[in-house]
Amino acid sequence: MSTPTHTPKKQAVKRTVDMQIIGDWVEPRSRVLDLGCGRGILLEYLAHSREVFGIGVDLDFAKVAACVHRGITAHQGDMMDFMRYFPDGFFDRVIFSRTLEELQNPDAIIQEALRVGRTVAVGFVNHGYWKNRLDVLLNGKKPRNEVYTSLWHESRPANPVSIADFELFCATRQIRITRRSLLRGDWKRPCRVLPNLRAGYALFDLTR
Amino acid sequence: MNDADNSPYSHTPEPGEVGLVEPRDFVHPQPFTFDCGQSLPGFTLRYETYGRLNAARDNAVIVLHALSGDHHCAGIHSLNDRKPGWWNNLIGPGKAVDTNRFFVLCSNVLGGCQGSSGPSSINPATGVPYGISFPFVTVRDMIRAQKLLCDHLGITRLAGVIGGSMGGMQALQWGIEYPDFVHRVIAMATTARENAQGIAFNEVGRQAIMQDPDWNQGIYGKGGGPRVGLAIARMMAHITYLSDTSMDRKFGRRKKSAAPAASGAALDVQFEVESYLKHQGESFINRFDANSYLYITRAIDHFDLPGTYGSLEQAFAPVKAHSLVVGFTSDWLFPPEQNRHIALALLRAGKRATYAQLDTDLGHDSFLLESPQIYDLVRDFLERA
Repeated sequence: MSTPTHTPKKQAVKRTVDMQIIGDWVEPRSRVLDLGCGRGILLEYLAHSREVFGIGVDLDFAKVAACVHRGITAHQGDMMDFMRYFPDGFFDRVIFSRTLEELQNPDAIIQEALRVGRTVAVGFVNHGYWKNRLDVLLNGKKPRNEVYTSLWHESRPANPVSIADFELFCATRQIRITRRSLLRGDWKRPCRVLPNLRAGYALFDLTR
Repeated sequence: MNDADNSPYSHTPEPGEVGLVEPRDFVHPQPFTFDCGQSLPGFTLRYETYGRLNAARDNAVIVLHALSGDHHCAGIHSLNDRKPGWWNNLIGPGKAVDTNRFFVLCSNVLGGCQGSSGPSSINPATGVPYGISFPFVTVRDMIRAQKLLCDHLGITRLAGVIGGSMGGMQALQWGIEYPDFVHRVIAMATTARENAQGIAFNEVGRQAIMQDPDWNQGIYGKGGGPRVGLAIARMMAHITYLSDTSMDRKFGRRKKSAAPAASGAALDVQFEVESYLKHQGESFINRFDANSYLYITRAIDHFDLPGTYGSLEQAFAPVKAHSLVVGFTSDWLFPPEQNRHIALALLRAGKRATYAQLDTDLGHDSFLLESPQIYDLVRDFLERA
């Protein structure tokens, strides 16, 4: 585990990588829905770099207020209730950036995202990554690292997912993976061999 | 009193007060036709302004009042005033609606009774108050009259329109009616469609007024009229602005005085909440006209954007403004879902609309709360959106 002084910097770097790859996938001036948008950092980046018409959804008032502070449009509420209100294909792209593992009902939510969005980008930490496996194996405890800094009792409920889990899910639901970006433990270099073991972060571009 | 008077471009680090303000009258000398088809040869709006209109005349923010509100939304009229304007906590130099940056304008609605033309105004043709011969007023009439005031003041564009409850209805209507004129819409604790529950409460209030023999078909002199009916209407309506939790915290079951000994006294005021409502009713009749109450509640009843325009998305089709809609969890008059629905319909119509929901227990009146969360939200939205 890294020392606390390095943690924020490393986290910031990792967030930037996520942003850049999703940013590359987003069509300029498209209509983008960011589910679990947090403080609107990704949408702010996309607004500036890709001039998107962005809208974020988050449950927390403080997060939505932070979006307003950034000049980002946001909606406070449940993402499923939100999506239900929109017709098929209303959004050019729906984004799940590190929200996947906190979803209550991932299957239904991803299917609904594929209905309201023409494309869906998913980015998540790979829990099959060897360091994460080793962490559990050696310590017998919830993994703690620069990405997951909190103890179990400080964390929100999470449903750890691996690349293998996710690809199997897409196959069984006949969801087409049009692009994937699998990154090694540094979240920078691409990972081509044994990604479920060697990739730290995974991004998928999905469509029906 | 106001730092901006000395140096309009400096930012006061500590939020200041608007200070002493004076209402003014805008007299529109041309005929005005109401939505109902009736017209008046002209009308008056009483209004107040704070801050300064910039050279481009595009830094105005209109503050829109609710059913029983008025044009006096910030500052004081005299140093002896016990209370400042109704939204003083939000408006002032360095506050969320910053009068160092914005030219803030608030007018009493058309149909009101605080100086603007309404049923208590004298009909020049007869020399007596219009009473119920005054044209029926809609929310759209209210904002069309305000637009004429803006034109009179030479305002080229509104940096924002902001209001809660009926003020939120006006804010939405502003965005629909004058899309090129309105840059930002802030609507709080409101609805796009007055529901049956809201109409029902309004009707109980109206019946209390009209069943009072002193109402006399709306014909009464100054200081007269259905004082009992109007007080009851206000007492009932006031309950709908609060919540079970907030009332229990404020009053609980506390008694006003020792339990009555004599028979008959059992029905006198016993609980603090009774005496509070009695006071609300009594102070209301001294400042509000019963016919105006009938007119404005009717305007609220008729506010139905989806009904008027075919659907809410169609209603919002012309909107160009960025919107911020705020709902409050304990508001049971215009519940959070009705506010959320406004933001969703705006998004569906392809507009930019943010929805925020504040967890409060003060009921409908939460929008007037002294809350740093509301202040930051409004300040940031006016600055960034």
